[in-house]
Formats: sequence, structure tokens, C-alpha cells
Amino acid sequence: MTRFADAAVTTDSPEVGAVALRGVTKRYAEHTAVDSLDLDIRPGEFISLLGPSGCGKTTTLRMIAGFEHPDEGDILISGRSVLGTPPYRRDVNTVFQAYALFPHMTVAENVAYGLQQKRVPKPELRERVAAALDMVRMRGFADRKPTQLSGGQQQRVALARALVNRPAVLLLDEPLGALDRQLREEMQLELKLLQSQLGITFVFVTHDQDEALSTSDRIAVMRDGRIEQLADADTIYAKPASAYVAAFVGQQNFFDGVVSPDGSGVDTERALLRPATPLAGLAAGEAARAAVRPEFIELSVDRPEGNVNVAAGDVIGVSHLGEMLQFLVQLDERTAVLSRRPAPDAPSLAVGDRVWASWRADAVQVFPAGDAAARSGYVPPPTVQP
Amino acid sequence: MRKARLPGFALAIPAWVWLATFFIAPVAVVFYYSFGYKPGLFGTHATDRLSLDRYVEVLTPTFFETFVATMWIALAGTALCLVIGGPVAYWMAVKAPPSWRGLLLALVLVPFWTNFLVRTIGWQVILAPEGWMSQAAQAIGLPAFDILYTRTAVLLGVVYNYLPLMILPLFVAFDRVGEPLREASRDLGANRLRTFWRVTLPLAQPGIVVGMLLVYIPLMGDYITATVLGGAKGNMVGQMVAAQFQTAQNWALGSAMAVTLVIVIVLSAAVVGGLCWLGTWPLRRANRVVLDAPEEVTA
Amino acid sequence: MPANDDVRILASRASTPLVRRELSRRGFLAFAAGTGTTMFLAACTTPGGAPAPAATGGALENALSIYTWGDYDAPEVLEGFTADLGPRITLDSYGSNEEMIAKLVAAKGTSGYDIIVPTGVFIPQLIENGLLYKLNRDLIPNIEHVDEAYLGRVWDPDNEYSICKAWGTTGFVYDKTVITRELKTWSDFLDAAKNEASGRTAVLDDPVEITGIYYWANGIDWDTTDPAEIDAAEKYLLEELAPHIAAFDSYPGGAAIPQATHVLMQAWNGDARIGIMESPDPDRWQWVLGSPATELWMDNWAISASAPHPEAAHAFLNYVLDPEWAIAQIDYIGYHTGAKNIEAMAREAGLELLDMVFFTPEQLATMQDGEINEAQARNVEIWNKIKAAAGA
Repeated sequence: MTRFADAAVTTDSPEVGAVALRGVTKRYAEHTAVDSLDLDIRPGEFISLLGPSGCGKTTTLRMIAGFEHPDEGDILISGRSVLGTPPYRRDVNTVFQAYALFPHMTVAENVAYGLQQKRVPKPELRERVAAALDMVRMRGFADRKPTQLSGGQQQRVALARALVNRPAVLLLDEPLGALDRQLREEMQLELKLLQSQLGITFVFVTHDQDEALSTSDRIAVMRDGRIEQLADADTIYAKPASAYVAAFVGQQNFFDGVVSPDGSGVDTERALLRPATPLAGLAAGEAARAAVRPEFIELSVDRPEGNVNVAAGDVIGVSHLGEMLQFLVQLDERTAVLSRRPAPDAPSLAVGDRVWASWRADAVQVFPAGDAAARSGYVPPPTVQP
Repeated sequence: MRKARLPGFALAIPAWVWLATFFIAPVAVVFYYSFGYKPGLFGTHATDRLSLDRYVEVLTPTFFETFVATMWIALAGTALCLVIGGPVAYWMAVKAPPSWRGLLLALVLVPFWTNFLVRTIGWQVILAPEGWMSQAAQAIGLPAFDILYTRTAVLLGVVYNYLPLMILPLFVAFDRVGEPLREASRDLGANRLRTFWRVTLPLAQPGIVVGMLLVYIPLMGDYITATVLGGAKGNMVGQMVAAQFQTAQNWALGSAMAVTLVIVIVLSAAVVGGLCWLGTWPLRRANRVVLDAPEEVTA
Repeated sequence: MPANDDVRILASRASTPLVRRELSRRGFLAFAAGTGTTMFLAACTTPGGAPAPAATGGALENALSIYTWGDYDAPEVLEGFTADLGPRITLDSYGSNEEMIAKLVAAKGTSGYDIIVPTGVFIPQLIENGLLYKLNRDLIPNIEHVDEAYLGRVWDPDNEYSICKAWGTTGFVYDKTVITRELKTWSDFLDAAKNEASGRTAVLDDPVEITGIYYWANGIDWDTTDPAEIDAAEKYLLEELAPHIAAFDSYPGGAAIPQATHVLMQAWNGDARIGIMESPDPDRWQWVLGSPATELWMDNWAISASAPHPEAAHAFLNYVLDPEWAIAQIDYIGYHTGAKNIEAMAREAGLELLDMVFFTPEQLATMQDGEINEAQARNVEIWNKIKAAAGA
């Protein structure tokens, strides 16, 4: 598991739409918001910067846009350093968190604003504005003022206003944060579709793992101004580079224990966890943390064979999540595990039933005990504030 | 169980009562008196016979001449306050570190801590031919400084007394535009100047109008600043109105003058506003974007 | 509490006396004129309310309310009254007779004021409107200390309602370093205004004072109502004097004389005296009493018809007329109080510039009382025209 395995493939030849950050550091009075960050974004890529608030993702985006200036390092857009280039001369556009539509202009005038700055001739301008509004299905609202639009409509206008300029890179700063859940999911699909049609590089800042997972080609999980892992969604989900990533993306059952004497897994009070592949870089007796995702936890009333990758407990909660059933199983006073089974072949269990939880060896991931949440068992994703 | 609730306008009732009692009623009384007459030597007004005669008396060359002088001072004073206060307000709202704001606003308000008359007389003392400004000028070899009782002195006093009234609404207006919209503008390719003209200024426009009215309207009625610092050159129409109420004890004529003054203030403000609107019309037209009707509305 | 404590002045120590003077005594007149908002509410009411109980020399009430010009009485007099006789004094001040009258009328006898200090020319109006209390002279024996010259004036021939409080007259002050010839009369004033002092002349900000210059200079009755004489005054003042006027200033003593803002200023004697005393170079200024004729204005003690404390009010009038206080009062306000032998007492006390406070009988004979008459509207109109012409 190499952290920046994918980053190594970056082309050296600059291309339109490529963004490169080289050792970028941004400090504020008390803290370092972005800490010697390296990141290569490929042309035409949909990349998400994912992390809790304060992880430096928005600062990174604002430095690419030109609203903040790095204290150290270099930023290249389409192969050229943009240090000292003001925002209005960068070939990027931004969709802002609160949309920042101009309240005194109509929808059409908002969208036309960028083209007017470039002195695009009027006929072409009208054509491009109309096309951009068509693209986001807002043509019929061209003469409205932003205040007369719903949140989702404003969002689409903001998107059209940025895309009409045909930037090399589109920056999106939590653009879906203010929308309700259903609209957000629709917009995620729409964004993905637009991006693949237009082939523009999208840099998408979000604290919402679902948003990142459903839209991105690659995700950069950020923590304390650094990138914890940069990889595609599958890798991030299946092979998190650290307990932090494992906890942040999706849900996890954590087991804290020590590396077994033969070095083949992690022993805890309740279970012996044995991954499919041998542990790398962990010595016997060292504190370690094993993780198993809820969907890999099977439940049965009868005791499964073998005494590894298995634990006994009581069902303390059952909930329906549409096509899935979710069970919360208490192993002891301090430890519970979460199991999620597809509804058709889920065991019929009720609260109070004595069950056995088991999982396959290839579902077990082991991390150094490190610094992540100290609690064993099911760890909910970190609480996020937009 | 339903709770008894006050209707929504209940909160506004005290304000309306206040306005009706202390603004509308006196103005109505003045309006009524303006159709009356002065009944005798020791009477101030009578309204048993109503006529427009007082308005005929108002429209004398003296009134007109004084009015023009007043308007000149009011317009020039408003323009000066805008030119000086605008950049200050913009700087305070946009450029200055947010932590300075409280202090800056307090500094703007400092002159208000002193009585209006006292601070104006203070300027008289400063500007007098043998006042300290003149002495300072002479000390460094400049000629004696003698602008007291000139229109320059009047405008100086006007700017001093009225600048906060311009700065405060402008500050609020510029502040309310907000950094996000300015960033959006720059993101879309507009430099700082273009951003100012197309985003900050149009959005701050209501505040600018308020600031100008806050300076212009009281200035049309103020004669203290002008008389103290301008002497004979600071003759203002407000003084003529006051003279009718006080010295001449002719409230009917004074009321007619006051009503005329109000009408002309409203008209002149409307004319200036209209001119500004017309003046910026080409600009607004150039930036207007109207799309052709779409073949089918998809929404 | 003396009124001067009500005004807090934020200015350098050096300028404080100037500013204070500007706000005090009769100094507020011109500026505060616009603030008489109570006038609007006065509406068409005539005074009603309960008449004050008759003062018979009974026990004094425990309070006294005085409504007078700002800073117009020596604090030791007021404090002495309370200390000696008991009633606590509440002081309120006005800036013009009109303001005071409007307030009394508006209150319909509920103003609560006991003592007021109207200028003589307004007394007929106050009497006509029933706003004055007929004095019980038995309770004011100290009236005998008032010089007869200042009793029995035209507005109240038998002093039934009023007693002289202070009086003054009009003249002018000029800067001897600029005007080197000697000026003696109003004609000289007008001549200097048109020549050496052109553009640096100030006149009093009062219609009858301005028309007065012309009438006094030309031997015309100051109180004339003859349209031909008024027209002539207008023509002369508008065409000959207005272009040379720099300011209309009722209190040049406050700032203009000490700051040497103008070289020729029409002024009231007490104010001119203060200005010269405040000047860093008093010898530069020459005071001239207007001649061949000039005015005599007089402020008068009177009691409001609705006075709630008539016994205390009478006691106060009697107290303040006691010769014991004459010097304190004259020193504090700078105007002649009308007390007998005051001149000798003042000279003995070593007060300065007394020729600006006391006048010879010959000079007194040239001073005329003012009058509010039918010419008032014309005077105001002329005043406005002169101002417009001077400001052009």
C-alpha cells in the first residue's frame, strides 16, 4: 500500500487543465492551514479534496483560485506557475459555497459577467450564455433575479456562470452543502455527467464522503493541512492508507489490540483478527488496530468454524436501511460491532438474540495503533461541520 | 390550545405613533398655518381665513436669491462629503483590518460627542485671522490665513459637521456587499476597478443615496454652520424661515416658506436622483443581457 | 444650580472663555433661535389656567423657578437668596424673547415658571396676553434703590408689571490700527464701512438694529412707521451698506473682537466691553457710543401670571434689588443694572472700562426705546434683503 501510488503516474508534459502544487505551505497567525502539500491533478480529472473542517481543503482551493497566497511552494496551472497572478487572470473559475450570485443582476447577466470581462462580442455572448443556461436547464429563468430562485436553481446558475467561461479548471467549494439530501444526490450525478461531457478538470472540495465517493475520479483525503491518502474511490474505500482514512471514509468496526506472537494478526480481548495477507512493518506484541467494514460482518446463531475472525455478542439494535438491514451487536460493555446485510438474505434476528459475528480474512485491515479514535468497535465517521 | 398572538404589525405601532405624533402632526400644522395670516401686531397666526396669499409673499427675489445660495452650499457640501467620505467608508469596510473597525467607527463619531454649535464655533476660533491656523501659517513663513467668512470656510465646516452622516451609511452599504461577491467578480475575470464599478458600487447605491440625502436635507435647513463660519457669505434660507417665526412673529409666512422649502428639497433631490439615473443609463444598457426567447422552456 | 454648569465645554482652556461667552447671557439668541420647536405646539391657544394666588407677604414657598437669559445672574446672588430666605432656585434659560413667550403661551399657565426676564419692547405683548402678574409693590420696597431714570419706561409707565434688571445700548467698535481717523457718529460708521472697513464690517444680526443705523444717523425716529422713510432706509442700506458687510454678528465680543476678525463692528456696549477685555491687545480697539442717537434696550424682572410661588418670587425681586448685590451683578453681566449710585460703587470696586457701562445724562438723552409696531414685517424683509445682497 503506497500512499501516493497513483500520483507517480503524473505526466511531466504540462497540459491544459493540469494543476500542480509543489510543497505549498500556508500559515495563519496561530496555525499552519496547509503544510508542504504536494498534489498533481491531471487534466480532465474530477478530484475531490475530502476532510473535516479545518483540514486545509478550502485554503488549498482558494490558493489555486488566487484568493490566498502560499507562504512557501509553487502552484502551477496548465504547467505555468501562477504565483503572483491575480485571480482575474487565472484560467480557473469557482463555484462558491453560498453561490455568490450578484443580486442586482439577472440570471443571464450573472452568467454573462465573465464573458463581458473578456469583451466577448454581444452575439457570441448571448449564444454562449443561452447555451450555458441550457446546459444547466435554467434557460427559462434567464430574466429572473437570483433572489427569485430556489437553492438548487441558484446552484445551477452558479455552475453555468463559472462554466460559460470555459476555464481550464473548475473549482467547487462545497457547492452542494446548502442543498437538501435528495437535491444533493441529483446534483452529484449532474456534476459528474457535466464533467465527463466537458472534459474540464474539476477540483471539488467537500466534507461529505458520499459526495466524494460518488463523483470523483480520485479523492485526496486531507488532515491537518496534509494529504493523508490520494487514490480512486475504490482504493480509498477498500484499502485505506491509515486508520484515519478508514474511519473517515465509510463506516468501520475497529478492534484495538496487539500484534499476535506469530505476527499473523491482531489479538483483542473479544476476537482474534487474521488478515489474508501478512502484516507489514508491525512487530509481535506491538499495539495495533484492526478494521472490518460493517458490510463484511456476517451474523449467525450457530457458532462458525474456527476461532479466528469471529466474536460472540448480543443483538442490541436492528434497523432497516432500504435494501439493507443493519444490526448493532454488543460484544461487551464497551464494544459493539455494526453489521450490514442485504435484506433478502439477512438472518432473521431480534434484539436480545445471542449471535456470532464473523468475517472473511480479506475483510480485515490492520493499521498501527497510531493516533485515531481510541475506542474499539464501531466508530462512526468523524462528526463534520460544514 | 391556541396561544393568543399579536398581529405582525404590532411591533411597528410604537414607531408609527411616534412618527404620527412628532413628525406628521407638526408638519400638518405648519402646512395648515401656511394658508393663514398674521392677525395683528402681537398675534403670530390666524386661520379663520385661508388663502394662498402667503405663498405669493414667499416668492420674492430675495427668497429666490437666498435659496439659490443655500442650494449651492448644500449641493457642494454634499458632493464634498461624498468625495471625501466615499473612499474613507470604502477603506473602512473593505480594506481595513476587521479588528480596527470598532475604533475607526468610534473615531468617525468623535465629533458628535461635542455640541454642534460648540464645534462650529471651535472652527471659527481656529480660522480667525489671528487664530492659531493663521499663526501657524505665519510661523512657517506663509501669508496670514484668512478664510473665515468665505464660502471655503462654510464648506470646511459643512464637511466637518456632516461627514459622519455620509460615512456611516456608506460604510454599512460597502460592508454589506461582502467579500464573497467581490471574490466572485474577480474570479470571473474582473480586476479590482471593474469589480468596484460593476459589483460594489451598484450594490452600495442605496447606501450612497441615503448618505447623500442625510447630508443634503439637513444642510438645506441648517444655517448655523453657514452663518458662524461664512458670516454674510453664509446666508441661508433656513434663517429666513426662522426670522419669520421668531423676529417677525409671522408664523403664517414662516410656514409657507417652510412648506415651499420642503417641496423644493424633495423636488431637487428627485431631479438629482433622476439625473444620476439617466446618466448611468447607457452604462446599465451596455451591461444588460437579454436572451432571445428559448424555443422551449425547460425548467 | 447656575445655568453655566449645564453647558459642558470640550475645548482648550484658552478658548473656553470665548466659547462660554458665546453660549451665555444673551449670546444664545442668534443661534438658538431655530430651536424653538415648542412654537409649533403653541397653536392657537390663549393662556387660561388658574391665576396665581395673590402675594400678600405671607410665608415663602420652599421653591422658586426662574426662567431667564443664560448666565444672566451672579451665582452668589442666587446662592445667597436660598441661604438667606430658604426657597430653592430652579433655573432655566431661553435664547430669545419669542422662545420664552412661546413657551408660556403653549403651557397655558402650567409652565411652572415664577420669574421671567422679558425685554421691554415685549412687555406690552405679554400684558395684552395676560401673561404677567401684577406686582405687589408693597413686597418690593427695595425698588427705591433703582434709579428713577430706569423706571417708568414707555412699555410699563407705572412699573405695575416689571422692574429694570439690566439695560444696554448700541454703538460700534473699530480697529485703530486699520481705521486711523476718529469715528464719532453713525455717519462716520457708514463712511468707514464703505471705505477702510469695506468687506470687514460686521453689523448686529437684528432687523431693527440695522435699520437703526440709518435712522439714527439721519435723525429719523427709530420707531418710524412712515413708508417713505422705511423705503429710503431700505434703498440706502441695500445699495450703500450691504455690499460692504462681512458678517451679521450679534455678539462680536465673543470671538470677533478678541480674534480681530473684522475692523468695524456694530455692538452692544456690554458685549463690546467683554470683547475688548478679552482682546490680547485692548488698546487697538476704540468703542464709540452711537450718535447723534441710539437705542436703549432694557431687560426687566417680571413675574409670570401663573407663578406657583408668588411670595418667593416677590421676595426674590426684593432680594436682588438690594444694593448689597449691585456690584456682584454688574461685574458678572457687564451691563448697567439700573441701581442707584452704581457708578460710584463700580469705580470704587475698580471695574474696568466703565465708560462702556455708564453714560452721561447727555448721552442718555440720545437713547431711544424700541417698539414693536407695524414696521416689523418691513424691517424683517429689509433684513432678509440685506443678507441676500451681502451674501451674493
